Amino acid sequence: MRSIVYYVREFLRPEWLKKFFFVKTAPLVTPPYFKGYPTLTGKDCTGCFTCMMICPAPDAIAVLRRKEQWEPEVYPGHCIRCGLCVEACPEGVLASGRVTDLARRDATAFWHSFHLEVDESLCMRCGNCCVSCPINRQIDPQLAGTGTSTSDEVIMRVSSGRVRILHEEKCTGCKTCETQCPSGAIRVARMVEGVQFLDGVES
Amino acid sequence: MSILQSIKNAVRSRSIHVSYIDVGSCNGCDIEVLACLAPRYDIEQYGIYVHNNPREADVLLVIGSVTPQWEDKLRNIWEKIPAPKAAIAIGNCPISGCVYARKGSLTTPPVKNYIPIAAEVPGCPPRPTEILSAILSVAPLIFKDYEEKQS
Repeated sequence: MRSIVYYVREFLRPEWLKKFFFVKTAPLVTPPYFKGYPTLTGKDCTGCFTCMMICPAPDAIAVLRRKEQWEPEVYPGHCIRCGLCVEACPEGVLASGRVTDLARRDATAFWHSFHLEVDESLCMRCGNCCVSCPINRQIDPQLAGTGTSTSDEVIMRVSSGRVRILHEEKCTGCKTCETQCPSGAIRVARMVEGVQFLDGVES
Repeated sequence: MSILQSIKNAVRSRSIHVSYIDVGSCNGCDIEVLACLAPRYDIEQYGIYVHNNPREADVLLVIGSVTPQWEDKLRNIWEKIPAPKAAIAIGNCPISGCVYARKGSLTTPPVKNYIPIAAEVPGCPPRPTEILSAILSVAPLIFKDYEEKQS
């Protein structure tokens, strides 16, 4: 009997009743280290497109030309907030959470290169890839028609009946060759490596 | 505003019934919706209740890019919800297809093509707080003075 009285008195306290009906968990605040959509820091973008190269989501970031100045634009609804563009940008144009701080503390960076591969069973040796490549045209302005070239400095050329890749390291990953290839034989693959500098200083 | 309408407004602001369907997501957004139900975010303290039956729901949370099997069924589920109703797209998939929007993919986003979407919550996955605030900000827009807006 005494315990029933105790419980009734306990549950009739105004404070308890108020808590029972109106209490809510405190509104959760987003901690500053959460990665949000990348924002601009105000530093000048050079238009190197490294952010677009490393982005894993289709159409999530685009570098646009705005009045004599390049500017990256992030599209929510496509962006997955992984922060890779923030980390890969050599100029520090983008910011998101503490991605850049951590990369500086650990002296980590991304190294990337492009790997060209021609599927011999699909390639019909038309030379479109060699002709359309903007780097090829810069090195050897004579290169036209069949994709043959006398220069040894070009990225790729048609010689002795097949496409030969000479200087893969000069590729900028624009994928013009991929879009111009009529049979889908040439593929440009981005090769990205995460590296850490042992001395703690980025050289 | 009539008294009946004001009573309906008061009740509806504290009882938002939600049903969620996964039309082909990777499960990431499902787990974030599930986190809303858990004590940390506690969706029911705002008067939001979760059902598995669209006939009991007012708000439909659509998760995932649309797979071929869902193309005809999504519309049916939307029509089963009694008015007033709203659909919210959760995550990047129903908005753009996210990482599945590639050449050769079988999915056919966006969900907008199949049912009217009242709000979109971008993110891969969106945070539970973002989902919560989307539901809480859309509900009054759709449900407040619904009968008066109809007449």
